Amino acid sequence: MRAAIRRLFGIALTLIALSVGMFWASANYARRPNNPQPSPFAALPVFFNPRPIGVRELSRDAVRAIARGEPSARAAQATLARLGGAALPYVLPALDSLDPRSRERVALSLTPVALRMEVARADELADGAQAVLFWTRFWQDRAIDFRTASVRHLTSRLAERSIALRREDLIHVDTFALPALIEDLGRVKSATDIPRVQRLSSVLSHITGLPVVCPPGAGVADARAVVDSWLEFWDLHGSEFSALDGPRRLASTFVETQYGKWLAAVLRGGLGRTQTGDRALDLVGRGLATTSFLLFVGLGVGFPLGVAWTRFERQRHQFATRAVSAVAGTVLAAIPCATFVRLFAASSAGLPCAMLLVTVTTAAWVSRHLARSTMSQSVTPIAAAFSVSAPLGATYPPFVLSAIVLVELIFRLPGLGRTAALSLACGDVNAWMAASLALASASLLLRHAADLIRPASPRPATGRP
Amino acid sequence: MKDANVRESLSAKRRLLMAAAATALLIALATLLAPLSPELRAYARGLAFAVLAGLSITLVAFVVALPLGALAASGPRVFDAALRFACDLVGSLPTVFVAAVLWAGSSSTIRFVCALGVLRGLEQAWLLRCEIVRLEAEDPESVPHGLGRTPLLAFLRRRMSIALGPLFVSASFSVAWLTALDAAVSQAGLRPANAVATWGPLLGSPQPSPLPALLAAGSVALLTVALHALFRPSRAV
Repeated sequence: MRAAIRRLFGIALTLIALSVGMFWASANYARRPNNPQPSPFAALPVFFNPRPIGVRELSRDAVRAIARGEPSARAAQATLARLGGAALPYVLPALDSLDPRSRERVALSLTPVALRMEVARADELADGAQAVLFWTRFWQDRAIDFRTASVRHLTSRLAERSIALRREDLIHVDTFALPALIEDLGRVKSATDIPRVQRLSSVLSHITGLPVVCPPGAGVADARAVVDSWLEFWDLHGSEFSALDGPRRLASTFVETQYGKWLAAVLRGGLGRTQTGDRALDLVGRGLATTSFLLFVGLGVGFPLGVAWTRFERQRHQFATRAVSAVAGTVLAAIPCATFVRLFAASSAGLPCAMLLVTVTTAAWVSRHLARSTMSQSVTPIAAAFSVSAPLGATYPPFVLSAIVLVELIFRLPGLGRTAALSLACGDVNAWMAASLALASASLLLRHAADLIRPASPRPATGRP
Repeated sequence: MKDANVRESLSAKRRLLMAAAATALLIALATLLAPLSPELRAYARGLAFAVLAGLSITLVAFVVALPLGALAASGPRVFDAALRFACDLVGSLPTVFVAAVLWAGSSSTIRFVCALGVLRGLEQAWLLRCEIVRLEAEDPESVPHGLGRTPLLAFLRRRMSIALGPLFVSASFSVAWLTALDAAVSQAGLRPANAVATWGPLLGSPQPSPLPALLAAGSVALLTVALHALFRPSRAV
């Protein structure tokens, strides 16, 4: 029991380490020049973010750039307009610390925010002095509304029932309400959840300007898709509208990384979404059947064939027969199966050809290894196969999986190997991670199974397996 | 029976000569064919890469595998655990993906080849470790002992000479392994744009030219058979 737990713990630990390694690999690979589709999180550090950036830092930098009239002021104005209500608790109190000209520039930059919040008309904020006066009064009157607790209360009430006034109140605090709105979207389990998603997504769409709404007459699947879209938006931009303080800042050093974002998508279920919008878990489900079947063919047919081949070779006494068998085995194991496929088969041959290739390559590879292993001992090839199962179990999975990747690619079979290769090439991190983790799990299971089938042998006192 | 076995086995010198002759034959063939067409020139360049990179990988792999495997089998347990974990990590993925990432991340071909050698070395170290442990378990005279307490010469003579068998089999497939990886990486579209001329595009491109592809495949087979024969042990052991 203890050994089984230790083995399972070892597999889990290896998979975690593997996920880190594979993520590093895909991030590293995606950094190559001329990458067609970089990840949306490519700007983030891969594993550790020493300086996570939240709304406080973004708004402070934007105010500074606008106040100084730097060349980057135009971009800073756009940033401030995008940050909207979430930036107001940091921007408006800071107005007093600026000189009059700078103050006017910053106040004017907030005009798009006021229009979106529906708290002023454009002509009321025509010049700098008017804008400063407006925002000073606004903060005196409305600062109390910019509190997390009151916004959460408003959002939960809107989620429960539709009242126009609640919607307006939320629009008045603009992006400050985003965390609460996203949280209250919740899960869509039945048709009763659809109206809630419709009400909240309408407000979200107004605040962010994104056309992601749940239209009247939408079904459960549509509502789920809308919720998923908003969650993806929040994964990508959430930190820009949140203040990173205290423990949250500490957590952000991991969460605000490429790996953290991927892990968040995994924990949300479905192993995240691929670039085509499919769930990565569905992709694994589709590819698993083909790859498992080829793996089974390799193990179930190719491996015994290799043992039989070695047995045949061992029983021959003529040097010529043994030599021909050895050369044939070596050649079959050596020639990349891609060449065989390309030269002697049409891509329409599909699965039967792939099965044949995996079987032949496995048989040749196993026979060569067993022939060498039995060479120095007087044991039968079957006993040798069991005896050397641990080392073969270590070297066989990467070999056979590489062969499976090749045949899947060439015959266009919808397997995990092809999915992993194509997703790595096009930078689809979620698809790559899902497919390669599934392959790695299969490989690890094979290795541990090989360890288990090895017959019990006297072990050294040191406890070495 | 013993006489027949001795008659079957060739001396190490003859085997080395045969392997060298096979390589020389290929090089001569490539030199003759190279001027005939750009594709055959690509084949010739690929041959140079395959021979040099294959030898480098074998060499690096042996340098990594021999001490690591011996220590994991007969040294402190920490080496065994570390080697097992490392092998689990690098061996869990199809090697084609590991190679693609290594190739994309390597600033030079030499580094890429050395990285492949280390990868191969880890695999071979595990083979060696398993073989030594198995031999110890099957030896009735064996008593549990560590490398530090066994005279090194005795260890090398009694265990290593026999345990190297699987390593040699693995080493003889180095050129084939490299070419298969290269072809797979090319086929998957993961080959770096500025990579050196190799056999990968000849074998793994969507529409390969038959003659260079056949030549490349035949050359891989010949080199592997030559290496296999070179590393073939004496049956009288």
